[in-house]
Amino acid sequence: MSLKKQDEMDHNAWLKKQDLTVIETAFLTTLIWLDKRLRIVDYLELLETMYYRANLQMPKSHTEQYDLDNKFWYWYPLYSLGSLSIVAYLVAAVSGALLGFYYAPSTAGAAAQGDPTAAYDSLVMIMTDVQFGYMLRSIHRWAAQFMVAAVFLHMLRVYFTGSYKEPREVNWILGIVLIGLTLLFGFSGYVLPWKQLSFWAAQIGVEMALATPLVGEWAAQLLFGGFTLGQATLVRMYILHVFVLPFVVTGLIALHVGIVWVQGIAEPH
Amino acid sequence: MTDDDTPMTDGGTDAEARTDGGPPATVPPDDETPTWSDRKERSQGLAQLTYQYFERSRREDEDLRAESTYVERDVLGFPTWPHETLRNLAITSFFVGIMILVAALMPAHFGEPANPGSTPAIILPDWYLYWSFGLLKLNPLNPELAVLGGNIVMSNELLGIVAHGIVFGVIGLVPFLNKGSARRPVEQPFWAAVGVTGVILAFTLAALAIQNFFPISLDLLITLTFVLPVLGGIITYAVLKTMREGYMYDLNRRYYMLRPPK
Repeated sequence: MSLKKQDEMDHNAWLKKQDLTVIETAFLTTLIWLDKRLRIVDYLELLETMYYRANLQMPKSHTEQYDLDNKFWYWYPLYSLGSLSIVAYLVAAVSGALLGFYYAPSTAGAAAQGDPTAAYDSLVMIMTDVQFGYMLRSIHRWAAQFMVAAVFLHMLRVYFTGSYKEPREVNWILGIVLIGLTLLFGFSGYVLPWKQLSFWAAQIGVEMALATPLVGEWAAQLLFGGFTLGQATLVRMYILHVFVLPFVVTGLIALHVGIVWVQGIAEPH
Repeated sequence: MTDDDTPMTDGGTDAEARTDGGPPATVPPDDETPTWSDRKERSQGLAQLTYQYFERSRREDEDLRAESTYVERDVLGFPTWPHETLRNLAITSFFVGIMILVAALMPAHFGEPANPGSTPAIILPDWYLYWSFGLLKLNPLNPELAVLGGNIVMSNELLGIVAHGIVFGVIGLVPFLNKGSARRPVEQPFWAAVGVTGVILAFTLAALAIQNFFPISLDLLITLTFVLPVLGGIITYAVLKTMREGYMYDLNRRYYMLRPPK
């Protein structure tokens, strides 16, 4: 512990000793300058490891490994259903953000019962006036359908290949939670256009909430903003759909995939 | 550099001048940093237990690795990166293309604006909630669940909610009931039969939700809703049990040689 500065690794002296071109000197100087501050060498090592791993030979598929060619259908695509639902989720997120530029969560503007509201009109505007708008809405809706389908099939694959077993119970439970939240995502999105089916689907939602013992009325007020449907319901569904659920679901998906990453893909058969 | 008569502030242990009061008292030098076992001995209560467990589990890992006869690798799964990720990329990019194609060919449906004053003849959620909607239409069963003189125990809506709770609860319990290293349906016909029962039940409940489209009586429909899944489960069990005989020899030879059962 002395005041005298000791540079055990004198990189600059090492740099001078070598016979380098201007470009090499500039590169190394920059690298050393950055590395002293940010320790980028560690990250470079990580990248290098990833690069070599990616260039390793792929392991044999399980049909090859166990010589099952004529005995089992090669069902590898079923093992990518989890990724498929994430990709569908990303597509829905991007198209949904674009739709959000034009959508108005408001029931204003209906002179009489059954007249189009501002929310409904904004949907009509998206579908008829906005450039590429109809396609955007179709993509958003179909991405949602594909995501739900992929999530269900993913669950079946996990069940029938026994991938939920002993070290992976936590992820199975997490998956059930994620399915529930996905369905809630779909439900809240279904309400947003404020068309007839949206309204009456939400009505069933309120009635279900009210039938729950103890927390029913509280839940109905929290989720639907009261016992009859109106402006409050629409705004709450909107916030649920574009603010609350995206954060929660994205976080849980990250956790879900993180656990898979740590535990490895359940070995087929 | 420094003479012997230079005043020292740290008791003269160092040849060089010190103004920082010597080695810091709070952070121990590297060679004195307590090891895991030191910490275990010094700590108490929950912290000590944690350290003890860490050591045990690390030793267990080492022992298992030393004993392992597993030929290819000593992990229980395929690595997520890069094998699974890279293979998935091809399929997922194809999938996005399909999604956009379908969106272009079948644009989203749009209906009438909401009218609180008129209930439509048919209320339906999206297809993926049909099973849930079917659970809400079990109210004809409610009187049969009644005890003590025919007063129904719960309202029809509550019955639907309880049914949802049962479905999610049963699914959540599965990994705690079924353990072991078996991975194929043929190895465990019973659990495969349970799965098939669940899948068929989801479809029959969906059919119950859209009961208006079926020209059969409601009683028959509800009976079928529960009989068909059980029937499907029994058939699955019988088929897999029969198949198992033929598969068992190969399974034992190829599979348990690679992964010996515990």
